[in-house]
Amino acid sequence: MTNYVIDGTRVVLKVSRCRSCEAAWFPAREQCSNCASRDVAQEVTSSRGTTYASSVVRVGPRQFEAPYTLAYVDVDGVRVLAHAASDEALPPGTPVELVLAPIGSDANGPLMSYAVTPIGGAR
Amino acid sequence: MSAAREVFVVGAAVHPFGKHRDKAADELGYLAVSELIATTGVDPARVDVGFGGSVYGGSLLTQRVLQRVGISGQPVFTIENACASGASAVHLAWQSVASGAAECAVAFGTENLSSLGGGTLPLTTADIEIDQGMVMPAAYAMRAQRYLHDWGATVDDLTAISVKNRGNGADNPRAHFQKAVTTTDVEESRPIADPLRLMHCCPNSDGAAAILLCTAEVADQLVGPRVRVAASVVRSGKFSTGYRDMTWPDITERTSQAAYAQSGYSPDDLDVVELHDAFAIAELLHAEALGIAERGKAHTELRAGAFDRGGRIPVSPSGGLLSRGHPVGATGVAQICETYWQLTDQAGALQVPGAQIGLTHVTGGGIFGVDNGACSVHILSTR
Repeated sequence: MTNYVIDGTRVVLKVSRCRSCEAAWFPAREQCSNCASRDVAQEVTSSRGTTYASSVVRVGPRQFEAPYTLAYVDVDGVRVLAHAASDEALPPGTPVELVLAPIGSDANGPLMSYAVTPIGGAR
Repeated sequence: MSAAREVFVVGAAVHPFGKHRDKAADELGYLAVSELIATTGVDPARVDVGFGGSVYGGSLLTQRVLQRVGISGQPVFTIENACASGASAVHLAWQSVASGAAECAVAFGTENLSSLGGGTLPLTTADIEIDQGMVMPAAYAMRAQRYLHDWGATVDDLTAISVKNRGNGADNPRAHFQKAVTTTDVEESRPIADPLRLMHCCPNSDGAAAILLCTAEVADQLVGPRVRVAASVVRSGKFSTGYRDMTWPDITERTSQAAYAQSGYSPDDLDVVELHDAFAIAELLHAEALGIAERGKAHTELRAGAFDRGGRIPVSPSGGLLSRGHPVGATGVAQICETYWQLTDQAGALQVPGAQIGLTHVTGGGIFGVDNGACSVHILSTR
């Protein structure tokens, strides 16, 4: 089971929103991890977000083939860590689009995942 | 909890941190505890309970260590709480004595990271961020990028922290790195996770540390000087996958506020601090969350020399994790050992003159949705 849905050319994330306390969760869950309520709505996000922070990782696990760029991205109430299509760290505030991309590879082939690409090209 | 009675640290021992490929975690732990027994003169039969902290030390670690020095048959426990494992062991030992369940307790932390090979530490599996390629340097690198963006600090400030702490560690015979480095050395070290370079990161180390905790009555029968445990606190991370301010480690704030409340002291009362500088940026983040610098101002305090050994509030005069090294489960206990020596005027070249009250802070655990998995703060006092 994946944590995302491919919607045409877009990728959206499966999230849960608690109807009792309004906490938002990614990955999705059946029970709110804040108030333990089971009255939780299952939703999907939009396919756009905003960069909170980012770094180019130059030493990392083999399957991700460093260097690779990571970013924390805020999407409809959840903060998600994802690979970013950029040779440099994305500045805070950079708008991004969620896409499907290979983020590494192992013996079974490419590791496909949600990832982000900056919107608007050159900064 | 409110302590039923006062608890004292009456002895400390560290097996020097570094690369000890030929010594497993239980052997390193044994060497530290053996020295503790020798220096305190405690009869092993007087020890009522033992706690050992380690992440990678394996099952029944504490039995394997303590039975070699005659602490065998008593209740003993092995504690895993990531980087806070050792300090969590100390906290439980403190609880045992404070509550009246024990008169005398031993706590140690030990780790052999060489056995894991090089590179970044292996993190928990089946974690959504680790599945995306998260490593600890990246987590701190992103906090660094955001802190620099929000508060006007620069990479030069991070470099100055590494130079300070490596300079402090040059005088510490227990430190993994005992050599000062220059600004150029740090700037030319290889990039790890932008903006962090190798010398902005602590080394993976092997080592162990141990302390003895007891009541005043037991302390009277032992040879070493004593300091009082004014506060002992452990907290876990608050789990959230929503937006949060990653330049403000709320786990450190919550843990230290509880420690200030327990001790009756405030940040202004502290004479020395050992904090969790696993990466240079962490000194700025935690100095603010501990309340020894104003929000967004830790880098200006650093520039003014406030955190130097002779400054307003010396931070990590032992060299910190950046210099002393980070044998994960041993770190929190070693911080308490270093502070015990500071407060008993036994710190030698590291001595902060006249230090009476010291705080130690350790936090860690790379799981998604929290600042850190576990954090511990201790306040020690000669009063």
